[in-house]
Amino acid sequence: MAVILIVEDDAFTREIAEMMIQDWGHDTLSASDLDEALTLLRSSQHIDALFTDIYLKTAVLGGCELANRAIKLRPNLRVLYTTGNSITDKMKALFAEGTHFLPKPYTQHQLQNSVEDLLAA
Amino acid sequence: MSDIALGGKAVSDIAASDIVETIPSALIILDRNLNITSANRAFYQTFRTSSSETEGCHIYELGNRQWDIPALRTLLESVIPHRASVEGFEVEHDFPTIGRRTMLVNARKIFRPGNHEGSILLAIEDVSDERAARAESKRNWQLTQSIVDTIRDPLVVLEQDMTIVTASKAFFTIFGITEGEARGLRFSELGQHQWDVPALRHLMEKVLPEDKPIESFEIEDNFPGLGRRVFNLNARKIFQAGNHVTRMLLVFEDITDRKQRERDALSLTNEISHRIKNNLQVIVGLIAYEARSTALPCVQGYNAMQARIGAIAQLYDLISQSSRGAAIAMDAYLREIAKTMSASLLGNASSIKIEVQAEPLDIDPDRAVPFGLLVNELATNAIKHAFPGGTGRVVLSVGQVGDQIELTVADDGVGMKDKDSAKVPEKRGSDYVAIFVRQLGGTITPSESEETGTIVRIRFPILLVPPGGSERVAA
Repeated sequence: MAVILIVEDDAFTREIAEMMIQDWGHDTLSASDLDEALTLLRSSQHIDALFTDIYLKTAVLGGCELANRAIKLRPNLRVLYTTGNSITDKMKALFAEGTHFLPKPYTQHQLQNSVEDLLAA
Repeated sequence: MSDIALGGKAVSDIAASDIVETIPSALIILDRNLNITSANRAFYQTFRTSSSETEGCHIYELGNRQWDIPALRTLLESVIPHRASVEGFEVEHDFPTIGRRTMLVNARKIFRPGNHEGSILLAIEDVSDERAARAESKRNWQLTQSIVDTIRDPLVVLEQDMTIVTASKAFFTIFGITEGEARGLRFSELGQHQWDVPALRHLMEKVLPEDKPIESFEIEDNFPGLGRRVFNLNARKIFQAGNHVTRMLLVFEDITDRKQRERDALSLTNEISHRIKNNLQVIVGLIAYEARSTALPCVQGYNAMQARIGAIAQLYDLISQSSRGAAIAMDAYLREIAKTMSASLLGNASSIKIEVQAEPLDIDPDRAVPFGLLVNELATNAIKHAFPGGTGRVVLSVGQVGDQIELTVADDGVGMKDKDSAKVPEKRGSDYVAIFVRQLGGTITPSESEETGTIVRIRFPILLVPPGGSERVAA
């Protein structure tokens, strides 16, 4: 089973995502913004994958910045982005190589499929 | 003079009078007292007179004193006595016999051996038509320029080598240059070379040789004195009938404000879409939470509910991406719905596939929601009931039939022959189908059931006539 860091500024959505992922047997860590997430990523805590919202509080592309910094800290980290925004070419250009994307609103099945794909990659 | 062969006769053999008679310009020779000693044929023809009326006559007395012209007097009495020759002296006069004329007079003093007093040779060219044409052209140009100056958008006329010939007042104002500075300047040298864009240069080079106009070439940059602006450039070849000269008319449309409004609207749409989808995510999360503690038969209902929410959510992406105002592209919408349903109801490992075959048609946002929910409902029914073996294909199609749109949801499953009547599409699953069809202003065609498979067809109008109005609106 994997350890997945969930970064989502909406508390309810974050907790539901944690609940879903834990239901499939994975462990979760959570953060509500870029700084909290980086604190966890800089720690010695084992983390297999990052599931992050792109729009984090006031940071419009905060998730993209987080993923890029996270991969520098942990080059083997797998990344799954999500957002309620339409995906633009500008956003895509900021996606780290080999990362995945899941649009909101996502169901538990869609999240499960995405997490399985992410961990199998 | 050396002899030159001309038609077998040496030039020196040709009488001077022969040459004079063939010259198209009117020639007269005056003695020192300004009496006419001779004139050529062109003179007589131009001024409708004869040699008997002319020769020996004082120039001012000729033809009832019609040659007593102040300008001519100035030439003959004040200029010629002091100079050996005068060229291009322009005389404009109303001749009683031939009307108003503009004459270009060349004068030269000539001396013959033994005649020290000399004579005056006047060569008179009638340039009235040329001057009239030039005046007409000038008037036309002034008229054109005054029209051009009233146009708010800057206009510029370029030569083939892309140098500026002329421009409108708006052009000079916007680019902060004078007419004198602009004339002869290369287009690429304008401002800080913002217009020296390879793609634009490539298009401009084709305007004249290939007669290929430029339509709406957009350029955004910081312009000195203007700040950041967005211009739309349109160019076409211009020419005047009977004139081989071709030039390029280039029009600059300042679309900065319009562009900003579009960006603001897009930004607002995206923001609204983002908030709605985050709220839908919360609803989907609530459903997921409920589904955890619900008996298995009910979970399917929750899953179906999530798929319906997903179908609505797809709309917001398409609305924000739509470049056709509020209209929604049904083909893109169907594909998004199919993708969402595959992910939410089937999963990666499923052997049931959802395909889309759609013509490029639009639907208005008001009917886009029931359309999406209808597709979701019919496809969900097919997935749930048509494939007990877990393998099959659902095809979502949309196309135009006359003035209607036909939506078809077809599967290659077990068909309805042996199934419960409660599973008939318009009854099974929900009564939602009938409600959504009514919302679309459409009708449902009875399902065609073959040995295998089911086809449900729904037709609804492309255009709707609003209540109480005859104006047609987009579907």
